[in-house]
Amino acid sequence: MLSILPALLLALSVQASVLTLQSPRLVVTDSTGSQLRSEPLSLSHKVATPVQISGKDTLKVTFQVVDKDGKGVQPHQTFLRFYDEKTNEEGIQPIRVTPGGKAKFDLNLSKPPLSLPPTPNGDPLKVTLLIGSSLYDPLSVELFDLVLPRSQAAPEHPLESTFHPLPEIKHTFRAENKLPPKFISAVAAGVVLAPWAVLLGLWSQVAPKPSRLFSPSILPFILSLGAFEALLFRYWVGLQIGQVLLYGAILTVPTVFAGKQALSSIGNRRLGRK
Amino acid sequence: MFSLRGLLALSLVLISLANAKSSTGNSVLVVVEPTRQGDFSIFFDGLKGQGYDLTFRAPKDEVPPIIEYDEASFAHVVVLASETKNFAKDITPQSLITLLDLKTNIIVALSTKQTPLTSLAPEFSLILPPPGTPLISYFPKRDEPASVIPISPSKHDATNILSKNLAPIWFSGIPQARGNNPLLIPILHAPSQSFASEVDGGSADALVDSAEKGGEGLWAGSQLGVVTGFQTLGGSRITWLGGADVLSDEFARKEVSKGVASGNTQFARDVAAWTFQESLVLRIDKTEHHRLNETEPQELYTTNDQLVYSIYISKYNAKKSTWEPYSGLKDLQLEFTMLDPHVRTSLPSVAGTPGKYSTSFRAPDRHGVFKFVVDYKRKGWTHLHSSTTVPVVPPRHDEYPRFLSAAWPYYAGAISTSVAFFLFSAIWLAGEVREGTKRSAKSSKVE
Repeated sequence: MLSILPALLLALSVQASVLTLQSPRLVVTDSTGSQLRSEPLSLSHKVATPVQISGKDTLKVTFQVVDKDGKGVQPHQTFLRFYDEKTNEEGIQPIRVTPGGKAKFDLNLSKPPLSLPPTPNGDPLKVTLLIGSSLYDPLSVELFDLVLPRSQAAPEHPLESTFHPLPEIKHTFRAENKLPPKFISAVAAGVVLAPWAVLLGLWSQVAPKPSRLFSPSILPFILSLGAFEALLFRYWVGLQIGQVLLYGAILTVPTVFAGKQALSSIGNRRLGRK
Repeated sequence: MFSLRGLLALSLVLISLANAKSSTGNSVLVVVEPTRQGDFSIFFDGLKGQGYDLTFRAPKDEVPPIIEYDEASFAHVVVLASETKNFAKDITPQSLITLLDLKTNIIVALSTKQTPLTSLAPEFSLILPPPGTPLISYFPKRDEPASVIPISPSKHDATNILSKNLAPIWFSGIPQARGNNPLLIPILHAPSQSFASEVDGGSADALVDSAEKGGEGLWAGSQLGVVTGFQTLGGSRITWLGGADVLSDEFARKEVSKGVASGNTQFARDVAAWTFQESLVLRIDKTEHHRLNETEPQELYTTNDQLVYSIYISKYNAKKSTWEPYSGLKDLQLEFTMLDPHVRTSLPSVAGTPGKYSTSFRAPDRHGVFKFVVDYKRKGWTHLHSSTTVPVVPPRHDEYPRFLSAAWPYYAGAISTSVAFFLFSAIWLAGEVREGTKRSAKSSKVE
């Protein structure tokens, strides 16, 4: 049976002949029923100006499918194809054709058919009539461009966006800390250092002469005090607390002895033992 | 014993001779009715010629099992028994899902008949037309029956999977309405003039009625697929053929027009190459991160550090059976996330170092546990995912900027206190003891 079928179809295709449309017509009416546009359609070229419908307008396409003898034919496939070239969205709407070949298609936007593709950008849809039958040559006619009001975009899978480059994200950083002008800081530092002038001025009048600075009993203690100051300065610049405690502890030992030596030597001198 | 050793030696020789093609293995199980095995000889010979190791099994045979001891026995499975209603008990929709979990790749052929595999298709977001309704098209005018359709690949098909300038492909089978699942990869779409209908006796009114029912009433147009791939989250691939005939010798030899061979042989080759992990296979070799102007990664980074992240990606070269550094990805992106991405930036390839993609960015001024995330998913390609966790901490107490100009007065105050203390100590310790001299002067006066 199956092997006969192709042969049968082949035999039929030899007889196949051309289908054509009789009095194809396009009518756009508004909600009150008054005709906004009515014009015949052509098989050879599509309508020059796009058909625009909106709101409650109705688009009506009527035609009769006839063979070359003018007899009405009901083909197997009579589809209107709505195609958006930009989004590649397509809708196929079958049209009911009577056994006499008469066909009528109504597009009412208040009840749009499910097959209508979404038009989120308002781009024109290419409307093509497809007629196919096992007995006749297939017929594909580009009828007109249809401009529909904008609609919602086709629903997208929630993860679809992760399959495309995602928008870049830049982190908004906190503003940098603002510093006062260096001049003001310098003036303030100068104010802080000003008492030195007074101190040095007064010292120059009253300070005792450091005559025993290089005395072997005094110098080690002064040096070790200096070392402590230097250590604390280094702590501020870069050392860590553990290092400071370690070095400080080490420094303490000579300081204690040097201090005892220095203070006892001063004491002896003051008591006039020497 | 000797024969076993001989067998082993023979198999070793075979392995070395075999031109390893797939990145995941060469063993292929073909489930096909023994009577139809000869119908696909061009496809099978093509696979064998590439080094695949084919094992045939009738749908009702019990051996070889597809899964043994929870391990997949074959790297790839081709189920061409599209009209079989009763399979052996280890070939079930569930076992095919398990196979995909075990990283086995599958090619499944469907048919107009209702089979256990028909019920598996909806799990992959494919909606099949009712039984007994193949895809038919009266376009273009041709001598073949309406259910044998030449399909030319278009730019909306998987151009990265199919060869360029493929001749039209003969197809006979059922279309699949594709859900919007992003894991689906449309490989070949149905022609826009085609529709699913009963071959003979399908009436025009029935088509209109089915469309008026709404939903998936009418299977028509180019939104349908005839060959559709699906890549699972685990990376395994499954390809659904609307009909087994697309791989058949008959269609491979059939001319699309006088003197022009059909594209079926190459199409079958392309589909198998994609499904069997030969083409569009990527892997991440390694990732690196470090601070700008350093080379070694840090255990933790500080906020506002300038970070450098690099990733090395290879692509599988099926011709040489090797992984080669691949710099061809144009839209790789890096995310630096803590719960949400704080930074998302493109990861461009580095000129001069094949396969390396690198970018540099400033770490956000928020501390926490961040991740460098590269999640590259593109239709048809292996999904790449890499996540590296790094803590980002605020600066330590000694990492804040020093010698701020605003703090000069404080520095001056502290330092002058220290210096004054030192000077005072020195003068006090080293100064002359005047009291002593006064006292001695007094005593001399008294004397």
